[in-house]
Amino acid sequence: MCFKNLPVEFDDQGQPFLREGIPDPYTAAAAPADVPIQLTPDQVEDLIRRNGHIKSVNFDPVTRVAGALAFHALADFKERRVLEARSVATLFRGYEVIMVGRDPRDAIYITSRACGVCGGVHSTCSALATEMAIGCVPPPLGVLIRNLALALEFLYDHPLHLHLLAGPDYSAAIVEPTNPALFARAKTASAPRRDAHGYATIAALMEDLNPLSGRLYVEALHMTRLAREAYVLICGKYPHPQTIVPGGMSSTITLTVMNEMFVRLSQFFDYSKKITGIWDDLTDFFYDADPKYKEVGSRRANLVDSGIFDHPDAYDATYDNAGAWGNRRWATPGAIVDGELRTTDLHAINMGLEEFVEHSYYEEWTGGGQRQRFASDPVGKPLSPYHPWNKITKPRPQGQSWKEKYTWDTAPRWDRLSMEGGCYARLWNTAVAQKLPANAFIEATGHSLKVRVPRGALPEMELEWHVPRVWNAFERNRARAHCVAFTTMVAMNNWMAAMDRLKNGDTRTSTPFEIPRTGEQRGVGFWGAGRGYLTHHLVLDRGAVSNYQILTPSTWNASPTDRWGQPGPYEEAVINTPLLEETTDPREFRGIDILRAIRSFDPCMPCTTHIHSDAGVITREVNTCACGVDG
Amino acid sequence: MRTLVGSIGYRNLRDHSAPFEVLDELARTDLGPDVVIEDISYNPVAVVQWLESLDDAARFSRMVLVASVERAGRAPGVVTVREWDRVLPSDEAIQQAITEAVTGIIALDNTLVIAGYFRALPPHVSIVEIQPLEHSFGAELSAPVRQGVSQAVARIRDLTMTGEATA
Repeated sequence: MCFKNLPVEFDDQGQPFLREGIPDPYTAAAAPADVPIQLTPDQVEDLIRRNGHIKSVNFDPVTRVAGALAFHALADFKERRVLEARSVATLFRGYEVIMVGRDPRDAIYITSRACGVCGGVHSTCSALATEMAIGCVPPPLGVLIRNLALALEFLYDHPLHLHLLAGPDYSAAIVEPTNPALFARAKTASAPRRDAHGYATIAALMEDLNPLSGRLYVEALHMTRLAREAYVLICGKYPHPQTIVPGGMSSTITLTVMNEMFVRLSQFFDYSKKITGIWDDLTDFFYDADPKYKEVGSRRANLVDSGIFDHPDAYDATYDNAGAWGNRRWATPGAIVDGELRTTDLHAINMGLEEFVEHSYYEEWTGGGQRQRFASDPVGKPLSPYHPWNKITKPRPQGQSWKEKYTWDTAPRWDRLSMEGGCYARLWNTAVAQKLPANAFIEATGHSLKVRVPRGALPEMELEWHVPRVWNAFERNRARAHCVAFTTMVAMNNWMAAMDRLKNGDTRTSTPFEIPRTGEQRGVGFWGAGRGYLTHHLVLDRGAVSNYQILTPSTWNASPTDRWGQPGPYEEAVINTPLLEETTDPREFRGIDILRAIRSFDPCMPCTTHIHSDAGVITREVNTCACGVDG
Repeated sequence: MRTLVGSIGYRNLRDHSAPFEVLDELARTDLGPDVVIEDISYNPVAVVQWLESLDDAARFSRMVLVASVERAGRAPGVVTVREWDRVLPSDEAIQQAITEAVTGIIALDNTLVIAGYFRALPPHVSIVEIQPLEHSFGAELSAPVRQGVSQAVARIRDLTMTGEATA
């Protein structure tokens, strides 16, 4: 049974149908069972009144930028735990509004600007949505090159996150002052995977994670430079590509381009071995030092992913066959609930989507006589009135209230559950589903993913990522490190397939198309960002966009509490985080465990919200002295 | 003198998107072959990498950055031009800027700090700021900022031609 909370059942042939005999089944459906519930504002006020050791802690901003993500927590410093958490996106997401009335091709360039880091994934996702809507199938080489482009983008993103954003939280510069005893232990703790990464002790590894000066920090910058160079070879520019089109890629691909790409890609062979060894050792060290670290950032293992990296023999850009071509992808789509894979079917993933706005600065678009635009998907499977194809973006700025509305992010849910997106969902689905195309480098065992990385300066190694028994901040980072190896070898497989095509004289990378000027069409881009899940839902009306809805990984992860009181993933992860920082004085509290919890999701707030609406928030006072030419 | 004129900002944010209007107007002007107009509203780490990847012939001697920035004491639409003095903040503040950059935040100060720290900036860096009035979502500029755009365009043209801005 794929859904447990939606009013959708399946017949003997596995075809879904809406539960019968209920006038408004999606509204009447019961609240999801056995989910965590956020404290109510009244309960919080009562706790504060009765307990002097319970304090509000505000992280504004978590990503250290004014105007992106703020976080409010209520911490019990006696029990050293968090009682309440609220994730606040302070920017308005306006891309859906901008897109209405435009030619769908504009989306490739406009949505790319939704983020200053991961533009290519939005461009590609919008190209996929458009080619589905207009019925345009890219040629095999176009599919392969598109896969390569996005793999390279991820090879930019993952090192950047691991060693420039999350890494400093585990560096000597942070661990020593916040957990002196832990750092003392690290000085004598040997690093079991020294052969892969070269560090004798955990403390030595932590020293090189130091921001700006640490070797691992500097090395990550170097690796991103290589990924960027390879990306630019096929996309023209980074981060906003110029060659992604519906129906493939407009790049000219030659053997020279492929060879130049390989020179860069092959340098990720050794880096994969090193970075997985580092995060395996760091994780094991923290677990050994204090098992309570397993609770930092922990939450139910509820993950959703739309899959990525198409197989050129399977992908036909149709919604009808999405279930089939989705299951031929290098990263299998899937929804995981409490650690169990519920489905890998893109139709089921799409059917289960809903977006709620009870605690968001938007107006409801259902009710009040509003007709549900689409009762079913293009193959007749039921859709909720809260589904992205039915959603209408109606921004409504107002004052912040935990009881009412407090964020510009919406609350996406799958089967009414709070799910998280992340590149790790890619690993998990692929490992368990065992639907990988036959290949020489990656093997899904049902409980792990084995990646055989060829020899570089280091010998060939088999790296194995295991489906974790606990789900927390450390496992997110560990999995992201293994994603470097996985992505590198996915790229390698696609590089080899593309070389075969080129050698056989197949150089065609795109299919000509025309935008239909009559009728209504629907499309959805099922793709992925470096940070995980990504969909663009599109409706065309006489050649122009009449609805465009974007769901990013950070939309899922930063989502607020929903109508049933179920917290969003950041909120839930922070509520479950013990305060292990060695301080008894709340005034000296740095909140490092909470920050580790949130940063493990790889927060990308511009992707979530894009544009602010409050005065003077984005820009900060200049922090450098300047003398004016004006005198 | 090979010059880059770059915009930094968010689109569809009314006056905060004025830099793109400035660039669009400049693009309609013949500034000569040595002036490159480019929107660099993206991760400053990638901006650094782009600047460093340029071969000697393509490297810039001068950079003019235009952004909408709200500063106390300035009237809406006022355009200021200054030369960046290359003084960097503390290491902690630099890491803060990099952290913001990694999460996709676009900000003039971050681009200056990060590109400055990695020594990717050309010898001369001029900053053209427009004081915004309207901050809400949308494409329309306020009246004073609309005037400011014309002024900014004129001053950037002077900068690219003479290396100096008119008063």
